[in-house]
Amino acid sequence: MSSHSILSVKNLTVEFQTSEGLLRAVNNVSFDIPQGKTIGIVGESGSGKSVTSLAVMGLLQKPAARIPNGEIYFNGQDLLKFDEQQMRSLRGNDISMIFQEPMTSLNPVFKVGEQISEALRVHKNLSKKEAWDKAVYLMNQVGIPKPELSAHKYPHEMSGGQKQRVMIAMAISCEPKLLIADEPTTALDVTIQKQVLELLQKLQAEYKMSMMFITHDLGVIGDIADDVVVMYRSNVVEKNHAETIFQSAQHPYTKGLLACRPKLGANPKRLLTVSDFMTDSGEEKIVPVERVQVFDKEIELKESSPVLLEIDQLVTQFPIKGGLFGRTVDHFKAVDGVSFKLKKGQTLGLVGESGCGKTTLGRSILRLVEPSSGKIIYDGKDITHVHHEELRQLRKKMQIIFQDPYSSLNPRMTIADILMEPLNIHKVGANKNERFDMARELIEKVGLKSNHMGRYPHEFSGGQRQRICIARALMLKPEFVICDESVSALDVSIQAQVLNLLLDLQQEFGLTYIFISHDLGVVNFIADEVGVMYAGKIIEMDKASRIYKNAKQDYTRSLLSAIPKGITKNSMAPLI
Amino acid sequence: MTKYIIRRLLYMIPVLLGVSLIIFILFKLVSGDPTAVLLGKNATAKQMADLREQLGLNKSLWLQYLDVVKSAFTFDFGYSWSTKQEISKMILQGAYPSLCLSVPAFVISTVLSLLISLVVAYYRGKGIDLFIRVFCIAGMSISALAYILFFQWFFAFKLGWFEISGFEAEFPFVISYIALPAIIWIVLSIGPDVRFFRTVILDEIYQDYVRTARAKGLPEVTILLRHVLRNALIPIITYVVIQIPSLILGALLLENFFSIPGLGGMTLNALNSSDFPVMKAMAILSSVGYIIFGLLSDILYTLADPRIKFN
Amino acid sequence: MKSNSLWKDAFYRLSKDKLALCALFIVVIYFLVAVMSGAGWIASSWSQEVGASNLAPSLDHLFGTDIFGRSVFQKLIRGTQVAMSVGVAAAVIAIPIGVILGALAGYFGGWVDDFVTWLYTTFSSVPNIMLLISITLILGKGIFSVYVALGATSWVNLCRLIRGEVMKHKEREYVQAAGAIGGGHFRKLFRHILPNVGHIIIINTSMQFQVAIKSEVILSYLGLGVQGEPSWGTMIDDAKLELVRGVWWQLAGATIAMFLILLAFNILGDALRDALDPKLKGK
Repeated sequence: MSSHSILSVKNLTVEFQTSEGLLRAVNNVSFDIPQGKTIGIVGESGSGKSVTSLAVMGLLQKPAARIPNGEIYFNGQDLLKFDEQQMRSLRGNDISMIFQEPMTSLNPVFKVGEQISEALRVHKNLSKKEAWDKAVYLMNQVGIPKPELSAHKYPHEMSGGQKQRVMIAMAISCEPKLLIADEPTTALDVTIQKQVLELLQKLQAEYKMSMMFITHDLGVIGDIADDVVVMYRSNVVEKNHAETIFQSAQHPYTKGLLACRPKLGANPKRLLTVSDFMTDSGEEKIVPVERVQVFDKEIELKESSPVLLEIDQLVTQFPIKGGLFGRTVDHFKAVDGVSFKLKKGQTLGLVGESGCGKTTLGRSILRLVEPSSGKIIYDGKDITHVHHEELRQLRKKMQIIFQDPYSSLNPRMTIADILMEPLNIHKVGANKNERFDMARELIEKVGLKSNHMGRYPHEFSGGQRQRICIARALMLKPEFVICDESVSALDVSIQAQVLNLLLDLQQEFGLTYIFISHDLGVVNFIADEVGVMYAGKIIEMDKASRIYKNAKQDYTRSLLSAIPKGITKNSMAPLI
Repeated sequence: MTKYIIRRLLYMIPVLLGVSLIIFILFKLVSGDPTAVLLGKNATAKQMADLREQLGLNKSLWLQYLDVVKSAFTFDFGYSWSTKQEISKMILQGAYPSLCLSVPAFVISTVLSLLISLVVAYYRGKGIDLFIRVFCIAGMSISALAYILFFQWFFAFKLGWFEISGFEAEFPFVISYIALPAIIWIVLSIGPDVRFFRTVILDEIYQDYVRTARAKGLPEVTILLRHVLRNALIPIITYVVIQIPSLILGALLLENFFSIPGLGGMTLNALNSSDFPVMKAMAILSSVGYIIFGLLSDILYTLADPRIKFN
Repeated sequence: MKSNSLWKDAFYRLSKDKLALCALFIVVIYFLVAVMSGAGWIASSWSQEVGASNLAPSLDHLFGTDIFGRSVFQKLIRGTQVAMSVGVAAAVIAIPIGVILGALAGYFGGWVDDFVTWLYTTFSSVPNIMLLISITLILGKGIFSVYVALGATSWVNLCRLIRGEVMKHKEREYVQAAGAIGGGHFRKLFRHILPNVGHIIIINTSMQFQVAIKSEVILSYLGLGVQGEPSWGTMIDDAKLELVRGVWWQLAGATIAMFLILLAFNILGDALRDALDPKLKGK
């Protein structure tokens, strides 16, 4: 393989000097990228995959990072022996890179046209005019509408997807031999993700580039990679052709990764997770047969239960200020006449792209945002206009779990304080000890340990924090919980664990959920009924088991087709 | 954009009214009934009444307040108690020496500080960065008075390189009077300026777009001078522009020590001779300056940052 | 693993920073000197003649004597008392005003915000030195007027910072979560938001402290500060005339005394910001 390899990484080790001592981020990693092929590097956050790519680019922050051993051959030359000058002439020219965050990766004060021209002027010695024309051409190549006009735009005037296209145009401007894409679609909506992936594939063929595609989601890579390298805790645990990986993965971690993404249609009752395949120390486990049994949702629908929540023609609008004195000149309807009924013990999934109004809808139902008109009837009582004490009492019954596990916990409070706060507010429990015991009971239910109670949020991982948020929402024993993109910020492997937890808790406490997400795959797995939102309205609503088979709206179908199938380029065989 | 400027201009009105109110109340309380002071012990009741009439003290408080507001626009501040001159004329006379000192000193110190902070940012974390940071902090920790006294004593008195004090308006001669206070000004401003500029520049250096620029293969110097500086300039412009009004008043101590007949010295003389109308005039003048340049810096900020849009 | 709050983490980081510890040590010494001088335990006989007039520094008289034969060292200690008390008084006045106004404006927005913004814009438009001078003139020359004048000028910056930070935190999900579990405005503002912006108060106070000391020196130099008591400012004022006669020790003494405490506060301020500001983590 290595004879026609464009990039060949051999025994690479990267260490970081931190305040806690030496940290080995990459341990003896070796892989090759054959000429013209795409290699996918998969692993959860912190597994060392991004550090590897930065090492190839020569962009590691020195002197904190050091490379005690290893070689990186690019076109037969060891990049680690290059000086800064040589690396610079390579970067953006022969090797280029796209980053995860298109929002912050572009310079906010320069026009995108200038930013694309820059590399051309440095590496190809083009004049300002020539470089600009080339930039416009490239923007057309990456599918940005009206490239002549768009080149004059500033980054903030473009959508996330367009910005990522600009980043891609910038990366391919000098026709690199190797393109490194570091989670290029993670920050994007699924539909945009699909477009960007297709674009990258098209460009790769056109420019005959090799590509190194880094992601935490094996499903994404299936459509695009020839070879896959799986990284786990700084090590490469498995590498092989993509088909082989998808069809007969060897390492238990890879198996876990493959199994944890919910598929459309049939899934096991609880999603399989990495820990089903592997012990903490990395040894393989036998997965119990009942865990893999695929389950058909239709059987268990709770048709007979009473209606818990009814939404009738709900509208939530925000004023648009304008004029000299900032008067309200118009209204923006974030939620525009939404109606639905939700039965006790069921889960309603709301799916749509960012900006479709799904989050505002959730907050309006909880009266965290004031709805403008329409009715919210909860348990037979109109709560659209209740206030003060009544609303406070309602908070005991209705709860919410937010998206961002990093900002939704007060960083200055211990877990015990966070969990006991709802009890304090509503004077539940006779005294502090009793409240503490209640909190401890719940923290164990969500899969954490009781000795975590005295710790602070920053000492926990994203998945653990989300468990804490779930525990806080359940402290008051609510009947109804809104999960607002509650798993979107998590790695797929963690996502599966949290989804399982939500299902377990639903069964134990008889909860009713509204589950909001941009990922139809996830919604389809957890929800009994799915509502598709677009521009403030629910445009289609159906049983989860039916919507993926016979979607009526084009928009729903486009959402469905955007879900990564977890199928490789060459084979169409579905997983498991 | 025009709408934003108009809105900002209109916002000046309540601020100006507020500033006038503060100044009015303060000086009303400070000066009390000045007639006794002005006319001496032997003044007759008639004289005092006349003077009160003349100073507008018989008007209602409301009208007196309006006079303060009006003077912010007309620059008609009445007459000085000690020199009996028209205050607006005194200000015009004092402006030239003040600006002779403050403008060159301000321009040089700002440019110098920016250069130093760019060098420091380039070598961040290295020896030279540490050295300049320590130097800045140490420099800032010495009292302005100590600098003035020592420099004047050492360079002007002991070494005789500069004039000890005084002022001459004509061109080549002005330098020998202005140079030393200007140097002191620069020494005083470099510490805080470099510290601020360095923080702003380093804030930008760790942003994602800088990593993108590196990934493009740009040289580090280009990244610093093009990408980073352009973004850092946004807060820097605001910081610099907002200081401009203090050029009128800022050299209070320097002018006093070096006997430069500028506005700062004038204000201190007024303080020493309890010449409240002059102090009041300077307070109004510099407040109006702050308001105008505050507006200007806001507008420049929005012009420099394409992310801010107006509808 | 031992569990640490962000505060404990910050103090742990501070305790590893030797420079910051030295700075803290100097600040503590100055406070002790100020308290002991205030209680009359040291330097209470500063006004007594201890030797001939204008004696140069020697082992007997560490910083020499002034024109009346009084010990410059004892005067410096009295000056320390004045300077530190001014810093404390300015903080005691400025912190409640700045924090309360800033927090209310940032949290409630609307007309409250309009009013507070107007108030601090207005105050910051009048040059500080003018406010300082006129307030001391109104209240009569003396240390009390300096306290009030500095308090009245130093709340503005804190208020602006707190307002901005509260506005940012108000939108964070943890505050919304507090609302969702039934917490009211009071709980959201005081239990959740304020503890998260508290570091700003500490950092700003350590910065404002030096501004207060510098301002006191200038006001005293102008003859508006303490009366009948030595202060670093009046000592520098004395030195103005003495310097030509080669009497440099009053200036040197006051400058060194000021230099040490300002340096300490500068270093401490920087270290506090590095340790407490979550934004700078990991840099």
